[in-house]
Amino acid sequence: MIPMNRLLVLALVPVAPLLLSTAAHAHGDVRCDSGPVENWKPMGELKKKAWLEGWTVQKTQIEGDCYEVYARTEGGQNIEAFFHPVTLQKLVVYRRGKEIYRAPDFKPQ
Amino acid sequence: MINRVGRYLLWCVLAVPAVLMLTRLATGSALVMDLLHPSGEMAIRLMILAMLPGPLADAFRGNRVLRRWLAIRRNLGVAAFAYALVHLALYVVDMGSLPALLGELPLPGIWTGWLALGLMVPPAAISFDAAMRALGRRWKTVQRLVYPALLIALLHWALLERDWLPAIIHLAPLAIAWALRVGAGYRKVKLARSMP
Repeated sequence: MIPMNRLLVLALVPVAPLLLSTAAHAHGDVRCDSGPVENWKPMGELKKKAWLEGWTVQKTQIEGDCYEVYARTEGGQNIEAFFHPVTLQKLVVYRRGKEIYRAPDFKPQ
Repeated sequence: MINRVGRYLLWCVLAVPAVLMLTRLATGSALVMDLLHPSGEMAIRLMILAMLPGPLADAFRGNRVLRRWLAIRRNLGVAAFAYALVHLALYVVDMGSLPALLGELPLPGIWTGWLALGLMVPPAAISFDAAMRALGRRWKTVQRLVYPALLIALLHWALLERDWLPAIIHLAPLAIAWALRVGAGYRKVKLARSMP
């Protein structure tokens, strides 16, 4: 007899590529469908927008086709927020990977 | 075992990523928060490097490279723990206050990190020769805590990244090494049974 734990490992081997392919499709990118960069609002306006939220901005960057802001809220929470580069609408906010805000009209992908 | 000069060289190599991180911090080209990901990733990669030679040496008995790798794996494990401590120190500095740290503790992405590090403490604490001699067979049992530690560290990563792919990619080499070990063990059993 092959020991049980060996059987388990053997059973996992064919499953691994399957897991890999599903994960490749289901990863956590936020997509903004923001179109050509020429129409994007300048980053300065993004910072102003974050400032109006009462946040202390640590970093702003382009993530895929979205604007991303790393900041600390007035309550001291560390957050990661995604904004639409054209409308500068706040789309989704994460706190350490946990979603704490999503714009009502922004559907999860 | 590895001689004194070899170990000194090994630790110099292992320290290079940490020195590069500190340089980026000192020159202002990186914020503390920018180094959280690289330091955590380095801890996980060293952990995997420490966990690979065991199953591989079982699969390919007598391989000289694997024997050398086995001889340094305790150093790799301790280095993984050191990078995990650097990762924690950076996190504490970035958070800046105890209430902020405690405020994040209930978040799954955060408590999984604390738990993974906690599980690494016992194996790291007994990673010296005298403890190895004193504990005998039990030493290996304690070292096995790195398995749950690695899985929970990968969960921590996936939760923060909102992406499972990096975790799965990092688990793949270990899965292959374990499969090879199982394959080799199975051949051995068959061989033993075919003997009269």
